[in-house]
Amino acid sequence: MALASGSARLALARPGRLGLGSCGAPRRGAYEWGVRSTRKPEPPPPDRVYEIPGLEPITYAGKMHFMPGLARPVFPPWDPGWTPPKFRRLPPLHEHPLYKDQACYVFHQRCRLLEGVKQALWLTKTKLIEGLPEKVLSLADDPRNHIENQDECVLNVIFHARLWHSTEDIPKRETYCPVIVDSLIQLCKSRSQASFSGQTDLCPNNTLSTTWNRGSTLIQVHGSSGAQLNAKDPLPPIASREEVEATKNHVLETFYPISPTVGLQECNVYDVNDDTGFREGYPYPYPHTLYLLESANLRPHRFQPDQLRAKMILFAFGNALAQARLLYGNDTKVLEQPVVVQSVGTDGRVFQFLVLQLNTTDLASDEGVKNLVWLDSDQLLYAHFWCLPVVRRKAVVEPVGPTGFQPETFRKFLALYLHGAV
Amino acid sequence: MAAARCWRLVLRGPGLSLHTAAGAAVTAPEVTGPDVAAAPVARYPPLVASLTADSKAARQRRVERWQATVHAAKSVDEKLRILTKMQFMKYVVYPQTFALNADRWYQSFTKTVFLSGLPPPPPPAKPDTEPAPALDVAALRAAACDCLLQEHFFLRRKKRVPLYLEREAIASPFLDQLVASLTGLLSARNPALAAAALDCKRPVHFYWLRGEEIIPRGHRKGRVDALRYQINDKPHNQIRISKQLPEFVPLDYSVPVEVPVMNCKPDKLPLFKRQYENTIFIGTKTADPHCYGHTQFHLLPDKLKRERLLKQNCANQIEVVFRANAIASLFAWTGAQAMYQGFWSEADVTRPFVSQGVITDGKYFSFFCYQLNTLALTAQADQNNPRKNICWGTQNA
Repeated sequence: MALASGSARLALARPGRLGLGSCGAPRRGAYEWGVRSTRKPEPPPPDRVYEIPGLEPITYAGKMHFMPGLARPVFPPWDPGWTPPKFRRLPPLHEHPLYKDQACYVFHQRCRLLEGVKQALWLTKTKLIEGLPEKVLSLADDPRNHIENQDECVLNVIFHARLWHSTEDIPKRETYCPVIVDSLIQLCKSRSQASFSGQTDLCPNNTLSTTWNRGSTLIQVHGSSGAQLNAKDPLPPIASREEVEATKNHVLETFYPISPTVGLQECNVYDVNDDTGFREGYPYPYPHTLYLLESANLRPHRFQPDQLRAKMILFAFGNALAQARLLYGNDTKVLEQPVVVQSVGTDGRVFQFLVLQLNTTDLASDEGVKNLVWLDSDQLLYAHFWCLPVVRRKAVVEPVGPTGFQPETFRKFLALYLHGAV
Repeated sequence: MAAARCWRLVLRGPGLSLHTAAGAAVTAPEVTGPDVAAAPVARYPPLVASLTADSKAARQRRVERWQATVHAAKSVDEKLRILTKMQFMKYVVYPQTFALNADRWYQSFTKTVFLSGLPPPPPPAKPDTEPAPALDVAALRAAACDCLLQEHFFLRRKKRVPLYLEREAIASPFLDQLVASLTGLLSARNPALAAAALDCKRPVHFYWLRGEEIIPRGHRKGRVDALRYQINDKPHNQIRISKQLPEFVPLDYSVPVEVPVMNCKPDKLPLFKRQYENTIFIGTKTADPHCYGHTQFHLLPDKLKRERLLKQNCANQIEVVFRANAIASLFAWTGAQAMYQGFWSEADVTRPFVSQGVITDGKYFSFFCYQLNTLALTAQADQNNPRKNICWGTQNA
């Protein structure tokens, strides 16, 4: 106690005295009536002349300056006519023009579904098939589609993204994840020998919005998913009609007692109209592939692989549904020409590949034809990357570079890129 | 033998430092006795200035010792480390600047000559090589129109972009898309482009010394000190290739135009000094095989837009802004490429380094070509250096 001087000692003994609460924060009342130093001074009380009824006081308002002997004028409160954006309060939700009584469950790009892929499958009335379809895998293995020195180029891309592209010794995930995906797409685009007829165009940030009924609940996918590749021609359907009919017997997996809308944001202010993110007349109208990146530096901020796969399913489904409604109208029916959309999700090292085929827009009931999704999960491009060599007892144990490189993953990436064009 | 013995007795007195030298001098005539026609052997060690004295000769010897360590460095990383490890106050040069007549200043800092128009075309290809496929201008035009329309019209954005953010929000993705699509379309004609690496907003740094000044105040007042410059640039896009671009003109081509000489200190530009890390970076580290540059693309910020310059009555500065950006950015890039190959001011480049640049503000484009002929810009190295760097540029359209 000898260390504390006079006023500090008082502050320690009686914390309320200096206006601070027990933990050093201002008292609760301070937030409501304002800190004393910032309060405006009170206006002076009006002259006693104003209390006499029937009398009109003579003020110095006309003279435009103070005059002793005349009364102080009282002006009506001034209305500026506008509020700066800083002080504008939003109207209460009930008065918003888009307010609706029925709540809508919106899925946006930061929604983590509790049950992951199972929940996404139930919400989109889809049947899961593990592994990519044979058509795409055959594209991957066909040597005509390979780039020359493919492995060497991919290794260079990995080195560039993980080590070379920045002046730091160990670049962070926020920088290397978009660099690696951009470089891989550029590698596919510029070096693939297969000649393209249907041009594709990469679009970094477009917003998507689609709504559908699932039973009695209204579900919406809204927001931007990241980079999107669009094509001039639609992707051909993968599953034949027989396989599509066979999905009628498939029963969707429920996860009682968890509600299927857990993890989705419930809101009453929403717009039901579909929006693909592009206006009419866009030369590349058909969505081809979505690229979802998980590039946060900290692990808790990134999605788990299961949650990432669920997000991929829902965004691919949203794109497909918007496209189907644009082509075939808003009626719920089984599509004769199924719409196919692909998706790739990654965190810079682990890749998830997805191909979704939309067979029906009749999503209210649980029976009938289901949509199909082929999912290839947890494909490592490389197991680990050493940015600095590991040296034990003056001998280099691990050199600088990736360990456990799997060229198969890039072949699948290239196959998804070339699907529909070859 | 008697003479040798006398000599040893005489020389032992003054000190041990001459002992080993004397011993070497004594043994040397015995070794080279047979071939008297050989060059006269030094009978004493070379007389050099002191290393630690407070004299100009000692300073020169220290500088030469440091330069010898750079010459003797085994890897490029080590060389760059020795050149950049000492930090002193240096001028920070910004390629995109509002300073008036900045292009003349930058030409004097980088010893660059500016020629308007594009460089002379290369000699026609030999007839035995197969003719290149015809240039499909219509397809390129269509691709460019698609990119423009996509950003300006077709893409529905979530929020209406405010006016001051319009350039970054619309012109920036448009430039990205344009570069990517044109690279893809032209890679059939140009195999180097097919194997190129495309960088998006990667930093480019360069550090160099040029000229001298007398230090005005401080504990080193009155002494001669070199002027140091650093460029920290972030081109919007750049294309890097693994093989060097062919030169436009020979290395020792003498340009009749003179490099502008400014009579004031760089502080008048205005240019300010700061001390921080000296970095030399082309966009990737030295280990990357794509270490030569092809083209850089720059987007001018809102602060330097045309309407603003016209409002400030600086209509003649519009071209200056483009030129200054091109000279500074391309000099930094080519200089860094040359240093990645091991050249520096005392080891001047043996082949010219060539790069191209496109500078735009979203609507008007200017095209520039830069050839780096010399890195020797320090006062010591520039004494007998007739070479100049050359920058060709177009008017903006």
